[in-house]
Amino acid sequence: MIKDRLETIFRQSFEIEQFTEDLSIDNVHGWDSMAHVGLILALQKEFAISIPPVDAIELTSVSGIIKYLMNQRGASD
Amino acid sequence: MDWESFKKLKGDEGWLVIRRAAKAIQDALRQKTGKFKHQADIAFVSSYTTDPLADYVQVFSAQNDLAVNQYIAPYGQFNQELLNPQSELYRTSPRITFLLIEAESDAIDEQMSHLGGLVDAFLKNSTGILVINTFPACPSWPLNVLPDQRRILIEKLNTGIIERYQSNPRIQILDLDALVAYFGCQNAMSPQMMSMARIPFSEAFLGMLARRIISHITATLGLARKCLVLDCDNTLWGGIIGEDGLDGIQIGHDSPGREYLEFQKAIIELYEQGVILAINSKNNYDDVMQVLNKHPQMLLREKHFASIIVNWEPKPQNMQKIAEQINIGVDSIVFIDDNPAERQMIRQLLPQVETLEMPADPSLFARTLRETGFFTRAYLTDEDKNRGHIYAAQRKREQFQQSCATLEDFLKSLEMVVSIRPAGKNDIKRAAQLTQRTNQFNLTTRRYTDADIAAMAQNPNWRIYVLGLKDKFGDNGTVGLALVEAKAKHWRIDTFLMSCRVIGRQVEDALIDRICRDAAKAGRTSISAEYIPTAKNNLVIGFWDKMGFEKENVDAKLVRYSRQLKNYQPPKFLYLKIV
Repeated sequence: MIKDRLETIFRQSFEIEQFTEDLSIDNVHGWDSMAHVGLILALQKEFAISIPPVDAIELTSVSGIIKYLMNQRGASD
Repeated sequence: MDWESFKKLKGDEGWLVIRRAAKAIQDALRQKTGKFKHQADIAFVSSYTTDPLADYVQVFSAQNDLAVNQYIAPYGQFNQELLNPQSELYRTSPRITFLLIEAESDAIDEQMSHLGGLVDAFLKNSTGILVINTFPACPSWPLNVLPDQRRILIEKLNTGIIERYQSNPRIQILDLDALVAYFGCQNAMSPQMMSMARIPFSEAFLGMLARRIISHITATLGLARKCLVLDCDNTLWGGIIGEDGLDGIQIGHDSPGREYLEFQKAIIELYEQGVILAINSKNNYDDVMQVLNKHPQMLLREKHFASIIVNWEPKPQNMQKIAEQINIGVDSIVFIDDNPAERQMIRQLLPQVETLEMPADPSLFARTLRETGFFTRAYLTDEDKNRGHIYAAQRKREQFQQSCATLEDFLKSLEMVVSIRPAGKNDIKRAAQLTQRTNQFNLTTRRYTDADIAAMAQNPNWRIYVLGLKDKFGDNGTVGLALVEAKAKHWRIDTFLMSCRVIGRQVEDALIDRICRDAAKAGRTSISAEYIPTAKNNLVIGFWDKMGFEKENVDAKLVRYSRQLKNYQPPKFLYLKIV
């Protein structure tokens, strides 16, 4: 479920063909430092959590984001 | 994402979605594949990151058929950009520059003089408009008992900024303090955004700030809408007059009814700012007139409306009738109707009309209207404040004309007095406004800002003629303008326009006559004029020919004319007294 909701965010925000856990800031077109801020905001809203800046810097891949969200108790699923 | 889905974006989808749309619009602009009716060059110069704000501006303005080319100064470079005459900002020379900064110091004098230095440098190095912000006076210790001294200082600073710059025609004030207060400090300001992206504002507030920025652009470009067209039943009052009767409809200080009173108050505020009001309603005419003239609680009366069309015809048809009566394009109209089906019909058949999406709850009508930026102006002239009376007089004039046997009788009995004068200091704003607003009786449709007109007024090579008209029904105000390039060897009529409400009264002949006589007096043997066809000025297609000018070329884009002035004979004016 987390993955599905994440896919929706990614499809709305970036031009991607396939949504996989391998996607990262290095291989998604348009996922730059500015877009990263937007992505963090979108994650906060979608999963009703607050992501502190220290964590935000680390969330640079889909696999990392999924792991992070799983560990968040507040992340409603 | 395709264009249709861009149009539906409201801002609450999140910045990332907005950003993607903004990028697509920028690509379309770069490749010239996007088609927009209006264009504006703007710049952001700021102490914080403005890229996200610029994205919202790009998307919302494109939704209103406005393409915005944006120059975004590098982060933190606002001092250099404004102080250095060779900066990229001045090289780009945008029409409007937004200087968005945070308060750097709590010392008012220091902050004021810093801002003053930046503003002075801009005014010297640019010919554009500068928008400056006030500072959000947010409480820093909301629960503290003692007064918040910092907040008090910032409020003083804001008052200082407004007092110092509000009457400068090249400066507009973006009252950020007021906007943040409206939105709520806690919701508008975001420490998290500041930390992540060096933007002091929340994602949610960016959308509102962007809309305010677009208001500055549309006001500067003269794109404000001119006329508000209203439905009656369940829009101006609760209930249906044809069924509930005069005593049954809801309007007054008690609820239900006070929602409509509040809504009418907001409409009257627009009327006082010069917005023309009209009614487009499916009803019996006499029923509606009875409410307007007899209902004790109504604030809006017959005299407020320039056009009242009440019948059982389809509303799009009536909308066109209203536009014709008032002499404006349908693209100058904003329409309000509680009925979604009527709104849909207008949207489909007359997409140029801005049809507001109204909430189902009438207690939110006033707020919905107040939150639109469609009528916003950069300034108000005396003409704006009097426009309501002027149109009421115009309705009486038309009734009078119907009672006259011939046009000659009508014109003779109007007792018209025309005054033509060189533009003085108090005419600058109105002159600029006439170039911005006049579409039909406008030979060249060249738009000028206050700054342009003020510069012409000081240039000995230019003459600015303004024309005022009074008649037995009242003062029509300043209704005609000619901008003449009067060089030593040659005179050229650059701009010649008349407000549409005085068309057909031979007033224009008097203005041409005055220019020709002045040119002859100055020793010129001929004078030239131009006609630039637009979608809206068909009315004047043969105007110069009629005025004794001869065509010099057959260019479809700009037709040149000239007229000999040797032995110039002024025409006779049978209906006008010229002072």
